[in-house]
Amino acid sequence: MTSGELFLQQLINGLNLGAMYSLLALGFTLVYGIMELINFSHFNVFMVGAFIALGVLRLMGLDGQNVILSGLPLVAVILVAFVVTMFSTGMIGVGIERLLLRPLRAVTGPAAMILTIGVSYILFNIILIGVGGDTRNFANPLPSVSWHFGEATLRLRDVLIWGITIVLMLGLTYFVQFTKLGKGMRATAQDPEAARMMGVEVDNVVGLSFFIGSALAGASGLIFGLYYNYAKVDMGFSAGLRAFTAAVLGGIGNVPGAMLGGVLIGLIEAGSSQLIGQAWADVIIFSILVIVLVFRPAGLLGRQAPNKS
Amino acid sequence: MAVTDILARPFASWSQQKRQGWATILVAVAFAIYPFLTDDDSNIDTIANAMSYATLALGLNIVVGFAGLLDLGYAAFFAIGAYYYGIFTAYQVMPHWSSGWEPLAAVGLVEKINQGGGDLVHFTMSFWLALPTGALVAGLFGVLFGAPTLRLRGDYLAIVTLGFGEIVPIVARNAESITNGAAGLNGVKGPTIPAWFGFEGYSFGVNATPYYYVGMALVAILIFSSIRLRDSRIGRAWMAIREDETAASAMGINLRNFKLLAFAIGASFSGFTGVFFVSKLQVATPEMFNFSVSSMLIVMVVLGGMGSVWGVVVGAALLQLLQTWILPRTTDVIRAIGETVGSDFLMSADLVQWTQMFFGVIIVIMMLFRREGLIPATRAQPKLEMEEQHADVKRGGFVNVDRIEKWHPGTGNALEIKDVTVRFGGLVALNKVNLTIPAGGVIAVIGPNGSGKSTLFNAITGLVTSEGSIKFEGHELIGLRPDEVLARGVARTFQNIRLFPKLTVLENVLVGQHCRLKTLPFGAIFRPPSARAEEQGALRKALDILGLFGNRLTPRANHTVAGLSYANRRRVEISRALASRPRILLLDEPTAGMNPNETLELAEQIGELNAMGLTILIIEHKLDVVTRLANRVTVLDHGDVIAEGTADEVQRNEEVLTAYLGRAHRAKIEAQDAAKETANG
Repeated sequence: MTSGELFLQQLINGLNLGAMYSLLALGFTLVYGIMELINFSHFNVFMVGAFIALGVLRLMGLDGQNVILSGLPLVAVILVAFVVTMFSTGMIGVGIERLLLRPLRAVTGPAAMILTIGVSYILFNIILIGVGGDTRNFANPLPSVSWHFGEATLRLRDVLIWGITIVLMLGLTYFVQFTKLGKGMRATAQDPEAARMMGVEVDNVVGLSFFIGSALAGASGLIFGLYYNYAKVDMGFSAGLRAFTAAVLGGIGNVPGAMLGGVLIGLIEAGSSQLIGQAWADVIIFSILVIVLVFRPAGLLGRQAPNKS
Repeated sequence: MAVTDILARPFASWSQQKRQGWATILVAVAFAIYPFLTDDDSNIDTIANAMSYATLALGLNIVVGFAGLLDLGYAAFFAIGAYYYGIFTAYQVMPHWSSGWEPLAAVGLVEKINQGGGDLVHFTMSFWLALPTGALVAGLFGVLFGAPTLRLRGDYLAIVTLGFGEIVPIVARNAESITNGAAGLNGVKGPTIPAWFGFEGYSFGVNATPYYYVGMALVAILIFSSIRLRDSRIGRAWMAIREDETAASAMGINLRNFKLLAFAIGASFSGFTGVFFVSKLQVATPEMFNFSVSSMLIVMVVLGGMGSVWGVVVGAALLQLLQTWILPRTTDVIRAIGETVGSDFLMSADLVQWTQMFFGVIIVIMMLFRREGLIPATRAQPKLEMEEQHADVKRGGFVNVDRIEKWHPGTGNALEIKDVTVRFGGLVALNKVNLTIPAGGVIAVIGPNGSGKSTLFNAITGLVTSEGSIKFEGHELIGLRPDEVLARGVARTFQNIRLFPKLTVLENVLVGQHCRLKTLPFGAIFRPPSARAEEQGALRKALDILGLFGNRLTPRANHTVAGLSYANRRRVEISRALASRPRILLLDEPTAGMNPNETLELAEQIGELNAMGLTILIIEHKLDVVTRLANRVTVLDHGDVIAEGTADEVQRNEEVLTAYLGRAHRAKIEAQDAAKETANG
């Protein structure tokens, strides 16, 4: 490959990773924006999402690499997989919030964050014990349509991932900016107390932000499966940390920031894997996290978190 | 608690200290003789492992429990200690021999190994040397990792430490030439006791018992150090930071240094343990130090009780017991039941697989139902007698004033504020404010809410950045950190009371003395006579200050401030500020929320402080207090000084009446004047 082709190929790869991290980062950012909580269970909601998607595809008769679909069946299968996965993880998120985090809402200090570490552990072990710790092949029903630019390849898969991500992000942006509930969400992020007094149902808004965040984590898990063709119980940790870095990079609490941060982290990962080696990618990404936090804690687009003093 | 209460009952006549002392000795003796009572080497080995986890949990407790810095990558320092010892004893890094190595060989740090390709160097650091130096190296890394991250808020710190905790094993995995990568270092040397005057020397080998005793000694040392640190100036500073960073800084604690100190000491405990652990296992692999170790340690601390020294030791013991005894035994029982009832499902049960699931469940249950842990760090509060609870409103100022040293205010101006401007984004909160406070005077600042009064205090004490000049006794304060401002002699209280809720009244006041005390970690742990004398002096001073308020605070000295009445919390805050031995006291609405009688009492007491020579700057809404106390009054509105003069003058100022006091006040003043005129005429 020429260096131009390499660049193009890594750009394609980076955008795929970026799509995945952006969706995952949105969940961190929505919850942080509203509750100032780093939700560690999000790491493994993502992982559970990938396994739910795996199960859904299997139920539809898609197992391994041997079934290739096209046309309407393909669209239907993809749609069903996304909808079912996102709804399931969304409900998991709502369950975590309602059953476990709501009792701690009034408690100050790190209790809620520590609790989410425990929840993360529980989700991890449910999959570990229920499904097992080995790598599971992810069905890939996409036909191997691809376009070549020199030696760089753009696959149908890549276009699909980008398309779905863009649709989800536009939907979220529309929701947050233009609907009544979205307005309530933004108001709660600014000042929960004032929002409550103005008639915003803060409980519903918090539940909703968990639902949306977790649903997007589910979508992200499905994209991980489509991209890497596998799911594994420990996949949540490093993907989650990268997505969190993305949220911080963009400005935690800031929705467009999470999208931008996710894409940047995806590109950085692809680039550094190419230039320095996959083994050091994590080190580079965490160094970025530290550098951003130290020199520009508000992130690239600025933080939009509650005005608590 | 119930169990310990029942156990303590027969010894009710003993002092608590005596009971605790004997209980500790009893436990220590039990552990010391245990190896003689068992034949099973694996039990000893299990306990020795539990001891290394207990030491790690103790270290993490300093960071998380004392200082409130949630460190999710604590295992990184464990790894650093382990690899430090591993690299300097295993056969991995072997440079070529040259004569430059001779001096090191002479002191036993390296040996020459003859090999086909030429002589090589083999590092042979002694375990006993590696223990303290490993702690030191890990402590240095603690400072290195901590320095860029400790400015961050707690939750960011959690994620950054998580990242560091992940990076260290990655580096260990990738730096193959030094660490042997994923395969790990093998053949790490076990400790030996060298031959010494007739003693023939002893090699630990793979026998668990000597490790057990070394582990026991480590646990004892670290428990001792933890307790000594906790009950010192250092521990109080950490807990103050945990409770309220802003207030801690305003009370003279250098946040950066003390957070770094917590990080470094916590890390050094971990490095210490790393050396021990790796010498015991005699291998070091990256997997030994991943996130699951860090999070298991978090579970131990959460289970036992954050900040509770004995709690985390018990937490570590319980988790080890769960993993090595409860779960395997329960599995056996379930399988036996399965065999009897003929259930394949039960027969194939394996609860050990579920260990981490239990970790998660423990965290969730503890956070939902018992956040303070099994053995809470906050002690039981002594009950009050009736007469101690009862306090009449007193007139005539303080009690036992003669125990407090008087101030010598000197002459001239104490505080000179020139053209001070504070901006929050586009908003100008203070606009070129000028204010002079003469030494020994009382100046009041009044004005409507939002007029910039508290912002002025924040500017003086370094909590917000400001332009202009603020000189205290000739020294510029702008640019100083809040703790430096306090050290110069400028102390304050807060409008919305910022005490350290989980600390006792006495501890709160002791924190106030922080900048006047000098004890460092060495002094805190070993308590040389100088440190002991300093601590006793501080205690006496704190009690004297509390004594000023009669029996309002003294009987409650050992109560946490969270349970105090509002008025008493105000009094504690003033005591805490006085404890720093200020030369000027800034009081932000000290009588807010007090009833008229309490207000009068406090106003007289403030007046008495001034009579004792203390310069005072006070923000107050209650005009009778202002009139009673203040020599001069400055009125702020929208960040501007709109009037300045005596209390009487500003009350008649048109602008002040319009902006702040209002028409009703004008009517009142006119009525007063009319009455006076009638009386005179």
